[in-house]
Amino acid sequence: MAKTLKAVLADAGIPMNFQAGGQAPDQLIDREIQREPHPRVQKLKHIFMGTLSSASNEFPYWYTREYMLHDNDVPVLRRAKSLKTAFAHSTPVIIPGELLTMRKAPYFRGSFPMPWLSEGFYMAKEDEFYQEALKRGSASVDEHSKFGQGGGNVPNSFGKVVSIAGKFGMRQEEIPALLKLARLWYGKSVDDLGNRYEKMVPGYGTKEKIMRNIVCMFDSGFTLPQGREVINYYYPLEYGFDGIIKIAREMKDKVAGRADGDGMVGMNRLYNYEAVIYVVEGIQSWIHNYAKEARRLESLEADAHQKTEFKEMAERLEWIAHNPPRTFIEAFQMIETVHIAVLNEDAISGMSPGRIGQVLYPYFEQDMEAGRITEDEVIELLELDRVFKTSIDCFASVGVVGGVLSGNTFNTVSIGGLDKEGKSAVNRLEYLILEAGANNAMPQSTLSLLYDEKLPEDFLLLAMEVIKTGAGYPAFMSNQIAQEFLKNHYGHEGMNVEDARAWAIGGCLETSACTWKPLHLNGKEYWIPGGAGQPTSVGVHFVSMPKILELTLFNGIDQKTGETVFAPHDKSLDTYEELFEQFKTYWKEAVDILALTNNIQHDIWRKNNMAVFNSLLKPDCLDKGHLINELGYRYNATFNVESAGTITLVNAMAALKKLVYDEKEVNLKEMKNALKDNFGFKTAQEINSFSLADQEKREDGDKKWDKLHFKTLQAPKYGNDDPYADNILLDWENFFCPDCKNYESLYGHPMYPCQISVSTHGAMGSATIASPDGRLAGTTFADASMSAYPGTDKNGPFALLNSAAIWDHAMSQNSQLNIKIHPTAIKGVEGAKKLLDLTRAYMRKGGFHIQYNVVDSKVLKDAQKHPENYRDLMVRVAGFTQYWVEIGKSVQDELIARTEYEGV
Amino acid sequence: MEMLTYKDTRNYAPIDVTKGMDLLTREIVMADTQAPEGYEIMPKCKFCKNFKETDTFIGTCEASMNEPRFIAYPDMTAVTCEMYETM
Ligand code: SF4
Repeated sequence: MAKTLKAVLADAGIPMNFQAGGQAPDQLIDREIQREPHPRVQKLKHIFMGTLSSASNEFPYWYTREYMLHDNDVPVLRRAKSLKTAFAHSTPVIIPGELLTMRKAPYFRGSFPMPWLSEGFYMAKEDEFYQEALKRGSASVDEHSKFGQGGGNVPNSFGKVVSIAGKFGMRQEEIPALLKLARLWYGKSVDDLGNRYEKMVPGYGTKEKIMRNIVCMFDSGFTLPQGREVINYYYPLEYGFDGIIKIAREMKDKVAGRADGDGMVGMNRLYNYEAVIYVVEGIQSWIHNYAKEARRLESLEADAHQKTEFKEMAERLEWIAHNPPRTFIEAFQMIETVHIAVLNEDAISGMSPGRIGQVLYPYFEQDMEAGRITEDEVIELLELDRVFKTSIDCFASVGVVGGVLSGNTFNTVSIGGLDKEGKSAVNRLEYLILEAGANNAMPQSTLSLLYDEKLPEDFLLLAMEVIKTGAGYPAFMSNQIAQEFLKNHYGHEGMNVEDARAWAIGGCLETSACTWKPLHLNGKEYWIPGGAGQPTSVGVHFVSMPKILELTLFNGIDQKTGETVFAPHDKSLDTYEELFEQFKTYWKEAVDILALTNNIQHDIWRKNNMAVFNSLLKPDCLDKGHLINELGYRYNATFNVESAGTITLVNAMAALKKLVYDEKEVNLKEMKNALKDNFGFKTAQEINSFSLADQEKREDGDKKWDKLHFKTLQAPKYGNDDPYADNILLDWENFFCPDCKNYESLYGHPMYPCQISVSTHGAMGSATIASPDGRLAGTTFADASMSAYPGTDKNGPFALLNSAAIWDHAMSQNSQLNIKIHPTAIKGVEGAKKLLDLTRAYMRKGGFHIQYNVVDSKVLKDAQKHPENYRDLMVRVAGFTQYWVEIGKSVQDELIARTEYEGV
Repeated sequence: MEMLTYKDTRNYAPIDVTKGMDLLTREIVMADTQAPEGYEIMPKCKFCKNFKETDTFIGTCEASMNEPRFIAYPDMTAVTCEMYETM
C-alpha cells in the first residue's frame, strides 16, 4: 500500500503533530455543556432534522407570468408588479406548534430558483432534467429513506424527486414548468445580459480564463447580487406597512414631475415610490394569506390550547399586515416576515438580522414591565427563531451554494457593541439570546459578539459558556477596529463616530455600515441600530493567492490545465523582490479585469432587477426617493476585493525566500519541477482525501523529492511569532489593503479588502498544484485569512495571536482567525476564564476576529466514518457554523487536520 | 369519489418534497400516500376549469391575460389564485 505523507515523515524521524500544548485523552470527548430547548422547539427541531431542502416553482411562476405582461413599463415598476404578484400568490404553510410563522416557499425548508438572475444552468441541463422528471414515477415512495447522509441535502434524484444542483429536491411534476420558465428568461436574465456587455471590456478573454482555472471563484452579479449586509427593520416597526404606503403616497405627490435639480435621476423618484407601494401591497397580501390560513387551522382544530394559538397567530398577522407592532411577539413576527420578504426578493446569502437584541428591546422592556411576557417565554421565542432561521435555504448554483457557502445562509445576529452615546449596549435581552443559543444549538443565527472593553464581565463569561456547547458561536469581533475601518472607509460618505457605533456583522464576518433611528413605543423613544449600507457580498470575490503564485512561477500558465491565463512575463525571477513584484502585477491584472466585468453584471442587475423592498427598509431611500440603484442608501462604498489562501501564500513565499533566495539550497527550476511532480505524491482527488497528512506517495514515486519536500515543510511558517514568515504577511497586507482603493465600483466608490475564506479554501485548493510550503496538489489551503496551516503552529496560541496581529487590521473590512480547542482544555469556570483571557489578549493586540471550534478531532474522524450517528453535530468552519453532514469533504478534511489546542 | 393523495389535500402541511404533516392526526405522512376518506381537496391547477393540459406535467392557464396563454402546471397549489374555478 502507498505510504502517506505522515508515514514518510515518520520514517525520516520528522513528527507530524496536529496537537499543540499537550496531549488529548485517548477516548472520544464530548462537549462539556449540553442543553435542551423547550419541548415545543424540540419537536420542530426534530422535524427540521429530517427535512430535505425543497425547491418550488410557485414564486418564479407568478413573478414571470406578471413580468411578461409588462414589456413596456418602466423597469422598476415592471419588477415591482412582478414581486407583488409573486408575494400575493405564495401559498401559506403553517406547522402546528410554531409561534413565529411565514416562510420562503410552501415547505418547512423551502426555496426557489430565480431564473431572471441566471437560467443557463437549467437550459444546459434541460434534457437531463426532462429525462429525470419523466422517467420517474414508478419508483417507490420509500426511496426517501436513503437520506440521512448529507443532512437536508438532496445530492441525487430519487422516487418522485429530482435533484437540482446536488442540493435541492424538486417534485418531478414541477420540472417541465421549471424548464419552460427558464426558457422564458433566455437572453433576458442578468447573467445573459451581463455577459453580453461584459464581453465588451478589453481583456475579457483573461477574465474567462481566470474563471475557468479557478483563479477566482464566482461572479457576484448574477449568483448572489445582494447579501453580507445588515437588514433594517426600523420602518415597518415604527410606521407599519400602512404607514410606509402613506409616506410613499405623500412623497409621490411631492416629487411627481419634479427633477429638483437632479436632471439625471430626480424624475425617477415618482416611479420608485409607486414601486414601493406595489411591493408593500404584495407583502400585505402575503401576510393576509397566512392570517387566513391560521384562521382556517383554528376552525379545524379540536385541541383548545392549539386553537387559541392559531387564533392569536391570526390576530398578530392581521395586525402587523397594516400596523406597527405593539408587543414583543408582534415585533418578533414582524421582523421574521420582513426578513423572509427581503430574501424572497432576490438571491441573497448573508442577510443578517443585526443587533436584534437591541432592536426588540423596547418591546421586551415594556412587556416585562407590564407582565405581558416572562423571560422563559422570551427564551422559547428566541429558540424558535433559531429553527426559523436555520430552515432558510439560499437557492443558487451548486458551485456557490456548495463550494463557497457550504449551504450556509449567514443570518448572523450581533450582540454587544456600544450604544449611540458610546456606552455598553448590552441589555438583558442579549443575555437571553445567548441562553437560547446554548439551549437550541443550530447553525442559524450564528452569533457575533462585538467586543469592547466596556462590556460587562458576566456577559462575556456567559458567551464563553455558550462556546463550550461546541456551537461555534459567538465569534468575537473588535468594536474598536471595526469603528476605525468604518470611519476611514465611509468617511467621505459622512460616516461619523455615532454611526460607526451602530455597526454590526453582515454575513459571516463583514463589518457593515449601519445607523441609528428613533423608535417610539407608548410615548417612549429608543434609538435602535440597523443596516444603512449596500451589500458587501459584491465586487471581486475570492481571488486565489496560491493560484496567482503558481501562475507567477510558471510564466502565466496554469499547471493543471496547461492554459495560459496571463500573458507570459518572461522574467527569470532571480530575486525574491522580483518574484513578489511579478506576483503583485498578476494580482492587479486579475483584480482589475474582475472589477470591470463585475461592475457590468451589477449594472445590469441594478437596471432590471433592483431591490425595491430591501431598499425601502434602508435609510435613506424612503426619504430621498432613490433605491439602491440610484445611491439611495446612506453608505454605498461597499464593493470589495476578497482574497483567499493568504496563509498558504505567506508560507509558500517564506519557503521560497528561505530555500531559493536566502540560503540557495535549491534553485527555482528544481523547486518548480518538484511542484509540478507533486513531490512524488498522488493528487488529493486520486485518493479522495484533502488533508496533507493523508496524501499518498505514488507507486512509481521515488525518493528524489523527499529531502526538498522535508525542507519545504520545515521552512518558517506563519503562526509561530517568527518574524521571518510574519513579515511576509505584513508586506502583503501593506500592499493589498491600499491597492484595493485603485479599483472603483459601478457606484463610483473605491473598493476595500475583505479577508474571509468561507469554504473557498477547499474548492480552490483542489484546483491548485503543490505549493512551495510543502502543501500537496489538490489539498485544502489554510482556512480563513489568519488561521495557521494545520499542524504548523507549534508555539502555542499566544504566538499565533502575535503573528496574526502583526499588521493593522483596521485597514481591512475584516480578518479571520479560527482556533480549534479540545473540550478538556477549557473545562470548568477556570477554563472559561482562560478562554476569555485569550480572546481579550487578541483584541488588545489589535486582532479583529477570533472564533473557536470546541471539538475533539477524534469525534470529527468518527463522524466522517459514521455520518448517520452525527446528524446534529455542528462545527465552526470559517465565519459560520454548519452541520457536519452538510459540508463537503475537502473542508471536512481540513477541519479534522486543524491544529487542536489541548491547553490555552 | 377518487381517493386523494396527501399532497392533494388541505389537511396536509408540506414539510418537504417527500412528506408533510397530517393536520388532523399530527402524524408525519408521505406526500404520495393516500389520505383518509373525507380529507378536503387542495385547490390546484389540475383541478381547475381553466387548466388545459398540453403535455406531461405541463399545460396552459386559460384565464391568464398573456398572449399566448401563459403556461401552468397541474400540481401548482391554487389556494391564492383568484381565478381558480372548480370543475
Ligand atoms: S386560473 Fe389559477 S388555478 Fe386555474 S389554471 Fe390558471 S393559475 Fe391554475
